[in-house]
Amino acid sequence: MTRGTFAYVGQRFVLIALTALVVSSIVFIGVHQLPGNAFLSERQSSPQREAELLHHYGLDKPLPQQYLAWVGGVLHGDLGESLVNRGVRITPLLLRELRVSATLGLFALLFTVVLGMGLGILAATKQNTWIDYAASFGGTVGYSMPNFVTATLLILLTVTGFYAWSGGAFYEDIGWGKPEQVIVPAIALGLYPMAIISRLTRASMLEVIRQDYVRTAWAKGLRPRLVVIRHSLRNALIPVVTILGPITTSVITGSVVIEYIFGIPGLGKEFVNSIFNRDYNIVIGVFTFYAILVGLANLAVDLVYPLLDPRIRY
Amino acid sequence: MDGVSFHVDRGETVGIVGESGSGKSVTAMSILRLVAEPGRIASGRILFGDEGKQKDVVQMTDDEIREFRGNDVAMIFQDPMTSMNPVLKVGFQIKEAMAAHERFTPKQARDRVVPMLKRVRIPAPEDRAKNYPHQFSGGMRQRAMIAMGLSNEPHLLIADEPTTALDVTVQAQIIELLRDLNRDLGTAVILITHNLAVVASLCTRVIVMYAGRIVEEGPTRQIFKSPQHPYTWSLLRSIPRLDEYQHEKLLTISGLPPDLTNPPPGCKFHPRCRFRVDRCLEEEPPLGEVDPGQKARCWVLMRNALAAQPQQAGQP
Ligand code: SF4
Repeated sequence: MTRGTFAYVGQRFVLIALTALVVSSIVFIGVHQLPGNAFLSERQSSPQREAELLHHYGLDKPLPQQYLAWVGGVLHGDLGESLVNRGVRITPLLLRELRVSATLGLFALLFTVVLGMGLGILAATKQNTWIDYAASFGGTVGYSMPNFVTATLLILLTVTGFYAWSGGAFYEDIGWGKPEQVIVPAIALGLYPMAIISRLTRASMLEVIRQDYVRTAWAKGLRPRLVVIRHSLRNALIPVVTILGPITTSVITGSVVIEYIFGIPGLGKEFVNSIFNRDYNIVIGVFTFYAILVGLANLAVDLVYPLLDPRIRY
Repeated sequence: MDGVSFHVDRGETVGIVGESGSGKSVTAMSILRLVAEPGRIASGRILFGDEGKQKDVVQMTDDEIREFRGNDVAMIFQDPMTSMNPVLKVGFQIKEAMAAHERFTPKQARDRVVPMLKRVRIPAPEDRAKNYPHQFSGGMRQRAMIAMGLSNEPHLLIADEPTTALDVTVQAQIIELLRDLNRDLGTAVILITHNLAVVASLCTRVIVMYAGRIVEEGPTRQIFKSPQHPYTWSLLRSIPRLDEYQHEKLLTISGLPPDLTNPPPGCKFHPRCRFRVDRCLEEEPPLGEVDPGQKARCWVLMRNALAAQPQQAGQP
């Protein structure tokens, strides 16, 4: 950690804040253009009652004024109140849901990185054997399936399939709360990025093991294990790490679909519901959360990068 | 590669010369069994050690060859820019070479890194050991490679075009360093190069290769004074010499190096040879002794050829 690093991190934080501001204002404008509002589905809703509610939430004020009020709240760490569930403060709600989503996301990333790199390395060291072909085939399948298809197939397999095969002894209970319930959605979420990582790792490994410095390592008489791990793997991982930023982004956006399908009470599900409910404050809040998360994930990756490659300095 | 046979004595410096594609690098790589796929050693022996208790590299198990590499025979490569791992510190990479073998304890290995760097004349070796390769210049990297190669005190150092990628002034320094190390440590050196000037300044014996064959070999002085194979002769004519008549044109070797997958019949050099006779097209000449200690693979020896065609040979 040098001074340069601190300055760099500082700059990046400013950028993330700016991005969050831009994203939130775009979403703010966009969400108010959606037809209808949060109170249309109210029972016994009368025009008068609706006007009262709109006034209560300040929704009858001009948009710029509303936005400024919202930004003011955000600066105090307050994202406002839910329009549908009255009295529910959004900040603690989203933080709670973030924990759920982060758990799912981390498991998905773990699956992605461990299995993706593992398969990539295996395929590269066993190049042009059936192992390589099988891994490449699996990769192509994973790569070409959208996550909602993967999710539906996995549910079919684990819920209906396992139940039928085990004669009812095994019952996969989708939902959230039990530790084992994270596995299937994490796989559904991680399969696509896993395929990308395994392909990239394979290509990168194959390139590195032809490098002159790997030949030097052999010529020194190093043990094969050291040649592979110390002289090939670490170098091969550098390009893989660069795409971990975009991969994390894809896991975050993918979680919107996966949480909805698996009924997981995380940010993603909240996001979808809040749009349907026209719960403006939550929509904007979730969007802003996502913008910040993507920014932080990419920053984290960029900070790992120089640890792997000493030629990079900030 | 066919029928290549040569020996290197303890502490000797031998140059292997030839154009790219002549098989000189493959020869060097086979000594350490580093020939890349799909190349392989189909037959032959590579013997190492004292008379009577020699080991055959070709017959070694994987463990034996691993112990052999870097320990008995070390190798340095053409491009020092890419030959060191960019993400590991230079000192670490040198220490690692020693840690791979049992000659030194881990502590000795650690303590030897800085003296080794000093030995190859790298300034401020304590600081430099902690640098990464990209912080070194090309010449310094090649020095560090030499330090790495010599760290295990091998009997033989194979240097594959060690100066080709470097500036001329740096080239001279590296050659001088190799010469001094050979003298001080007694490490035998095989120098592989296309550059005869480099051979002249370092090696006592020279092997000339063409199309995967040895075409001439002998003491450097003798070969430079009276080359007997037309290929060696034209190689020597193609280097500029300050002491010769300035207006004499440099002779370049016309034609392309042979296609190794589809070599010509008879003498492999005949398509480019200006002295060829009918026999050259049909029968490949053997490597025969032409002078004490000097062998050449040619039907027409240069001293006869030059005597027969003085006008062509003298002023091309
Ligand atoms: S054998 Fe004939 S073709 Fe070959 S180098 Fe000698 S003279 Fe030339």
